Amino acid sequence: MTTAVRAERVTKRYRDVTALDDVSFTLEENRIHGLLGRNGAGKTTLMQIMTGQLLASSGRLDIGGKSPYENEAVMSRVCFIKESQTYPQYFKVRHALEAARLLFPGWDEDFAQALLADFRLPLGRQVRKLSRGMHSMLGIVIGLASRAPLTLFDEPYLGLDAVARHLFYDHLLTDYAEHPRTVILSTHLIDEVGELLEHVLLLDQGRMLLDTAAEALRGQVVTVAGPATAVDELAARNEELHRETLGRYARVTLRGTFDTAERAQAKALGLDLEAVSLQDIVIRLTTAHARSGDGVAGTRKGEETR
Amino acid sequence: MNRVLTVTRVQLVGWQNTLGWPWLLLLMIFAVNYALFLLIADREGNPTTGALISIYIVVFVTCIHWITQLLPFSMALSVIRRTFYLASALFLLVQSVLFGLLLFCCQLIEDATDGWGIRLRFFGLNFIDDLNPLLQIAIYTMPFIVLGFLGIFVAVFYKRFGLTGMWLLSTATLLGLAGLAALITWLDLWSGIGGWLAGQPMAAWFVGWPALLAALFAGAGYLTIRRVTP
Repeated sequence: MTTAVRAERVTKRYRDVTALDDVSFTLEENRIHGLLGRNGAGKTTLMQIMTGQLLASSGRLDIGGKSPYENEAVMSRVCFIKESQTYPQYFKVRHALEAARLLFPGWDEDFAQALLADFRLPLGRQVRKLSRGMHSMLGIVIGLASRAPLTLFDEPYLGLDAVARHLFYDHLLTDYAEHPRTVILSTHLIDEVGELLEHVLLLDQGRMLLDTAAEALRGQVVTVAGPATAVDELAARNEELHRETLGRYARVTLRGTFDTAERAQAKALGLDLEAVSLQDIVIRLTTAHARSGDGVAGTRKGEETR
Repeated sequence: MNRVLTVTRVQLVGWQNTLGWPWLLLLMIFAVNYALFLLIADREGNPTTGALISIYIVVFVTCIHWITQLLPFSMALSVIRRTFYLASALFLLVQSVLFGLLLFCCQLIEDATDGWGIRLRFFGLNFIDDLNPLLQIAIYTMPFIVLGFLGIFVAVFYKRFGLTGMWLLSTATLLGLAGLAALITWLDLWSGIGGWLAGQPMAAWFVGWPALLAALFAGAGYLTIRRVTP
């Protein structure tokens, strides 16, 4: 597997805010990556650095081994669609598409036309007069039809209805299967895209909380419910993310390596391991992080005292 | 270079709004002026309107819009700052020459029709009538270039340094000019400078010095845009 994006200790500081704090990761080529996190977690900043729109305060970020900042060769292979995209005031929908056709070497006009028909976008309408949802659709059409080897979507579907969102997922998956490329998708609608994502990055307050394959993550986080004593026994060996107690019963979300031996033991204790949805994993991890105040290491401290 | 040309083609997308609009506006202003002077019927005064300046202002504003609107859009479509700047500069130069030529042609027609039949001077600039045609075209062209690069520089500066930066820049410029004026007064150089300026040929006044100024703005804009966030 080749590396598409490599970040080493990337930090972005504004006057009094640290938007990104020592972030390191690598993204493999031809995968769909999810960039998740709460508002203000640093997702957009990270994507702006990836697309050469911002410079990091320190650290290094490479795309295909080269810095994207003011780099024609790198940037001609990148497409960055964000929710709040500015279009020139006089632009009609067809003008935006014409510009995209000129600028993206891999642009597929037939695909763009098919998408336009599916989304029912009026070509002659001025972009600034489009509704919120149609505005988002235009971005999505450009992002998909650009066929850029590295495509970034930052919250691409503000105001988009459920039908249009699913159209987007369907088209993304189908086209991705035919024309593999690296996709980075930042979103709040985690459950909707959970099935799409092959790799997950989770940012919280500028730090990387999670950088793992989606499949592995689903096996790593489970919920167990049952008598508190039995649950405690299992919780003692794993990282506890969340706990609800009701009398003698407890329901706990745990993170660890739940291999066959561990699962058998849980069964012996009379406990069921339930899978946790990606959205719940993200919520549990982020809130556990916020509670401890000092990253995942904090919850580990809690473990030791038990 | 190829990419620069591609980006200039992006600037042509919706050209009716960028290239056409200044001329449409100018034609409308011309129509109003024509009607007005037709009614006044003041044939003796050889009326000169000065409304020609509108097209220069429109081009100035268009150049500001390139930076505030077209730059963020182009960067979203993966155009880098340097390429966008070079493309804009090229586009501005070609457009300026084209507009200068067109204005000169309009002026020729104006002369040939004896001021559109009512001795109106809308396109003509009285003081350059005796110059050779090439110099006249250059005089029509130059203000487009200077204003264009000024607009680009100011917009880029604003985008990079914000309102505070603009405030500091304008204050510093004013203070600098005032200081220079004070220094000249103190050294009692006004009459010398006045004499020197008066001695400058027309070409230097309307082409040479403006070209230098435009180059200055162009260079400053280029240096500033390298760190702009769209």
